This record gives sequence, structure tokens and C-alpha cells, in this order.
Amino acid sequence: MRKRLLSLIVLSIMLMSIQAWAAQGNKENGKTIYDKKCWWCHGENGAGDGPAAKFLNPPPRDLTAGWYKFKTTPFDEITPADEDIFRMISGGMNHISLWKGMSGTSMPNWDDVLKEQERWDIVAYIKSFSGLDKPAKGPIDYKNQIKSSKESIEKGKETFKKMCAECHGEEGRGDGTKKLKDDLGFRTWPRNLTKPWTFRVDNDPKEIYTRISNGIPGTQMPSFADPTSKKTLSDEERWNVANYIVSIADDVKRPKDDTVLKAMRLEGELPDKVDDPKWSEAESISFYMIPQIIAKERFFTPSLDSITAKAFYNGKEISILLEWDDRTKSIPGDEKAKEIAEGDVLEDSVAIQLPVTIPEEMEKPYFGMGDSARPVNIWQWKSGKKDASEAIKLLNANGFQKVEQRDAGKTGLRATGIYNNGTWRVVMKRQLSTEEKAKDIQFEEGRYTPIAFAAWDGSNGESGSKHVMTTWSWLLLKPATPKSTYFIPLIVVLVVFGGELLLARGQKK
Amino acid sequence: MKIPRLLLFVIIVVISYGIFKAPGILLNQPIPSSLIVMYMFFAVVTTLLWITSTEKDMQGLVGPIKTMIQDPTKKTLRNIVFVIVPLVAGGITYTQLKPSYEAPVELRSIHPAPPSTVKAFGKTFNLATLVNPYRKLEKEDPAKFTQLVKEGGEVYFKNCFYCHGDKLDGKGHYAHGFNPLPLAFTDIGTIAQLQESFVFWRISTGGPGLPKEAAPWVSAMPVWENFITEDEVWKVILFLYNYTGYAPRSWEK
Repeated sequence: MRKRLLSLIVLSIMLMSIQAWAAQGNKENGKTIYDKKCWWCHGENGAGDGPAAKFLNPPPRDLTAGWYKFKTTPFDEITPADEDIFRMISGGMNHISLWKGMSGTSMPNWDDVLKEQERWDIVAYIKSFSGLDKPAKGPIDYKNQIKSSKESIEKGKETFKKMCAECHGEEGRGDGTKKLKDDLGFRTWPRNLTKPWTFRVDNDPKEIYTRISNGIPGTQMPSFADPTSKKTLSDEERWNVANYIVSIADDVKRPKDDTVLKAMRLEGELPDKVDDPKWSEAESISFYMIPQIIAKERFFTPSLDSITAKAFYNGKEISILLEWDDRTKSIPGDEKAKEIAEGDVLEDSVAIQLPVTIPEEMEKPYFGMGDSARPVNIWQWKSGKKDASEAIKLLNANGFQKVEQRDAGKTGLRATGIYNNGTWRVVMKRQLSTEEKAKDIQFEEGRYTPIAFAAWDGSNGESGSKHVMTTWSWLLLKPATPKSTYFIPLIVVLVVFGGELLLARGQKK
Repeated sequence: MKIPRLLLFVIIVVISYGIFKAPGILLNQPIPSSLIVMYMFFAVVTTLLWITSTEKDMQGLVGPIKTMIQDPTKKTLRNIVFVIVPLVAGGITYTQLKPSYEAPVELRSIHPAPPSTVKAFGKTFNLATLVNPYRKLEKEDPAKFTQLVKEGGEVYFKNCFYCHGDKLDGKGHYAHGFNPLPLAFTDIGTIAQLQESFVFWRISTGGPGLPKEAAPWVSAMPVWENFITEDEVWKVILFLYNYTGYAPRSWEK
């Protein structure tokens, strides 16, 4: 008994000393590290105005302002816990491949190059920018957590539609009806809640509950725990909403390692509408899209981040379905679109890029609109204006400066799209082969064909070279599996079994 | 105690298979399955040759199988084995025949041999004699040098860090959108192995300036002579070496 008591005392002393150590970050040492690693974005004096700042979206935190977005202290306590700051510096979330920092931002994880003590030193230093002290109130607790259940999710959904959909959209894709700005005047877009890998911090129910309860300081995300607000939700309601948000994750849209879009062979007609039930039978693949930062004019403030594709083909045609989340339906001339757009409303758009000649070896056209020796076909769909309907353009490019506009109709190229609750779906369809063989890609079953995608959000000022894109992936018109694939193993089974019988008979004699 | 020959055979084959599979499971660097099939073939043949080198060992290997087939008391075991073996054989055949539809493997040279001369900024540079004009200041005027490194850092954080990363580790916040991935300067295999003239060539002419063996059509490296000055290229090179702590290679070493 005494022994146990002793070890308990030793343990608590150790724990206390760890805490004391945590609190005693060395400000001077923190400054030394900050001046080497952090100032490039956050600025020499922490004002978020480093040389990189104006190329970043969201902008780097202004550390002199004293508010921190992701904190565990309650809504009426502006000061974050030291652990909150420490956690944002350390990172380690890893929702997007390679990236272990805060998703959708340029704040990386520092736990791989800075020791724990060094990270505490930085905490001490950056708190001094705004004279932050210890918070008067401790972190919120999770003792009343409601486990996720069908009932809780259903209740959360109802509350969500009433209280959250205005900004986050009916189905949670961030396609709200309000134009949002943060306290420093920067445009902010509400989180697409169906893509948990893009959440800044983490995506388990406790984390979501924390955001709902404490709000995100400096933004228009309010605290739903504040009893003086019109938007107060009970503790139970907040847990239900958190459970609902976890339940709407759309993992199909999360890009994985595969890079081959496999078109399935269909007998009979191909779907040419986006809502054809046949699409549910096709294999889908998702790709990350990144802003065009390679050629002039570079683009640094994207709002789109991934695209999902499916494809079918038959003996005559190929049909490709593209699906991507876009918070705004951008129709120039439309009053509602104008209210929410950042700047002028331009058309939304999506494009597929294919080589004119399928490469025999690995040599492909340059991924950015081809090169002088190897042209590409670009199929670009545009959402249309108030007084002009949607349209498909066919371009042949030998590099971005040498683009020829061609007659899409002549090649049988068609496209049609529908916008619904924060998602565009567009089907593009073309014949496998065309008359102008030297100018159009001629699709072939079983050939690995390079394919790339691009998209424009017209409410985010995107047009021309300002867009998001992928590099080359693959399109494969997947041949039907030959019957011998099933037939030969069956013969092997029979032959081996026959051999066994012969062996047994031989042994018995 | 002598291990029964049949058991020994099975153990050796299983261990060999484990060794060939280990790099894939433990280090995420799998040996291609066609190679594993070949290795396993040699492992099985060698083990068989060794085990059956004496008549006695041969009996030890075949004996238990014979007993299983002949001994009426082991009928159930025999029936089970007789069902499993053909099924396994069929299964292996099927996985070998099944088309895989994985992306084709493409090999490209990451550090191709540089050309002897490079055209950039409207001039022609001889890479054999080209040196960083600021490198000498490291000894001659350390204060000025530190200032130039800082200016190079600003070039880096306005242009390069989206891909090559805040920490110069090739993991910038847009790196996941690229294939091939951006180079990690902190990696001992990149700038630490190169001369500054090589880095100058790679920055100035970008992906499209690569020779064919390096697959210029997939490299997302911009042609930097279109965006920054010759002076800025040299300064950002100073920054890359200074931040990572590596020294550029030179002819003397």
C-alpha cells in the first residue's frame, strides 16, 4: 500500500513538472527559431505580413491580434490554452497525403524538425506579440458526449438544417447563401463538411463539438453555446449536430493513390444525363486539384480542391461523368450569383485534356496544354450565362500560347451539366473515333491514355490561366475480362485433383 | 532432435516467402510480384535439392505424404488435403491470370546529365565554368552574405515554397497535386550532390528545359527565367544551401 502511495506521489510530481516545463517556454530561444522558420509567413513582428503572406489563402495568422481560431477554451474566454497554440505548431493531422499540417492552409507540422521544448519556446514567444496571459478559464470538457446513433444523427440533421445550412449549405457542402468575411476583411468560405480531410484541425466528433461550442474567433462562425446569442443550442443539440456532421463524410471524393480512371464497357446506350442511374455502377476515382502556379498568370487563391470522375464506353462512344464540389453556381447576369461572388461573376467551367495521339512509349505531351511536337485536345464545358446556355468548346493546343478553337459538333462532342446543393455534375460524350484522325484523339480499348483535368470557379475570379488543375493521370477503356481468366484456373483445379486420385490409387497397390 | 524433413521443407519455404515480402510490409517498398515468383522458384528448387540429397532424407520428405495417403486412419486428413491443394493451385493460377489495370511504371532520371551550355536570360552560360557570383562573399563579406541569403529566402517564400515546402522537405501545401513529387532539398540526394551551376540550370529553364530522359512533360517546375531575375536565382540558391546546411559541390572536391 505504502509503495503504491509513494509511486503515486512520484508520478504526480513528474506530471506537475512536465506542466511547469510546458509553461516555461523560453521566449528568447523561441524568437531565435521564429526568426529562422516562422517569419516568412507570419512577419518579423508577428503581424501576418511576411514575404509569403500575400500569396496565401487563408492568410497567415496575425499573431498580434491575439485571437486564435482553433482553441479549446470556452467562447467567453478569448485567450487560448497554451496547449492549443502548441498543437497548431506541432501538427500531425495527416488528412491529405504528404501534408501533416493544418489542412487547406500552408501551416505545416513542425513536430518533425523542432523538438518539443523548442515548440514550447515558440509558444512563449508568439504569445508575447499580443501580450497574451494564461487563460482565466480552462478548456471545455466532453463529459456529456452523446455517442453517435441513428437517432442522434437524425436530430442533429434537423438542427443543422435550421441553424447551420444558411452558411454551410443544405447538404453541408459550404454552399451557403451568405457572403462571409473574417474580422480582418479577408474573404472566407464556409467549410465543406462532407470533406473531413479538409478540416483545419481534426474531424472527430469532439473536435467538431469544440468548434460548434466555442466558435471560430475572428470569423463569422459563432459560438452556439453562448446563452446570450440568438443561436444558442443546448449541449445535447451540439453533440447531435457534431454526430450528424461526422455522418455526412463523402469518402468517395477523397483522392487515394490510384491514378487510373477505368471506363467500363457497356452493351447498348451510354448514359448522357448526369442523373442516369447507370452511373452508380461505374467505378469512380478522385484527384486533388491544385491552383495553376506554373505559367503566367499564376493563381494562388483557389476555392476548389478535388474532382471525381467515372466513365463508360461501348463500341461507338465514350461517356465521362465529372463531379466536383463548388460552393457557388456562377451564372453571369444572375442576381443571386452576384450577391455571393468575390468580384465579378464569371462562368463555372471544367475541362478534360487528352493527347491527340496516344503515346506509344512514355513520352507524352507537356502536361500544361501540350507542346510544339505533341498537341493535346481540350474539352472545355462552360456553365453558361443568364442569356446564354451551357456550351462545350473543343480546343487543340500546342502549348498555352498556341491554341486553336475547333468545331466541337463536327466530332460529336457533347456535354451537359447540373448544379445541385454545392456539387456540379457534368457529362461529356464523344465518339471513340472521328474523321479528322490527325487532330482528334482516337480512343482504343486497353490502351493507357494520359488524361488531365481542370476546373474554374467563376465566383472566385477564375478564368483563363487562373484555375485549378491536375497533372497527367490515366484513362483506360477497360476490356472485358477474357473468359480464359476463369476457365484456366478451373482446369488447373481439375487436373491437380485428377493427379491426386491417380497418386492415391498408385499408392494403394 | 532432428526436425522432420517435410516440416523443415515447409519452414524454409515459408521463411523465404516472408523475407521476400518483408520489404513491402515493413518498409513499404515491395519487391515486384514477378520477381518474388522467380525467387520463390529458386528457393523451392534449392531446398528440394538439398533435402533430397540423401536417400534417408528423401524418405523423410516423402514418407509422411505416403503414410497420409496409405494409412486408412488418416483418411479425413487425406480428404481435406486433397480438396485444399487443387483449390490453392487454382487460386494461384487465377491471381496470375487476372488483369491488374495498375498504372504503367514510368522511369525517369531525376538528376540527368547537364548540357555543356545553357541558354537563359537571353545569354549563354557555360556550365563547366559557371559559378555563383555571390559565393565568394561568404568569406569576404559575411554581413553582406547574410543579407543576400535573406533576400534569397524571400524569393523562395514568394515563389517556391508552395511545392518544395516551408521546411524545404518537398512537402509544400500543393505538393500532393504533383506527380512526380517536388524535390526535397533537405534530402542528402538532391542539392547536396550538385554544383550551384547545375541548380542554376534547373531553376532557370524549369521542367521544359529537362532532357528527354528526365521526362520534361511531367515536371511541374516552372521556367523561372520568365518570373525572376538571374540575380534572384543566385540568391535563392544561396538560401537553399544555407537553410539546409549543405555545401554545394565544387570541382576541387
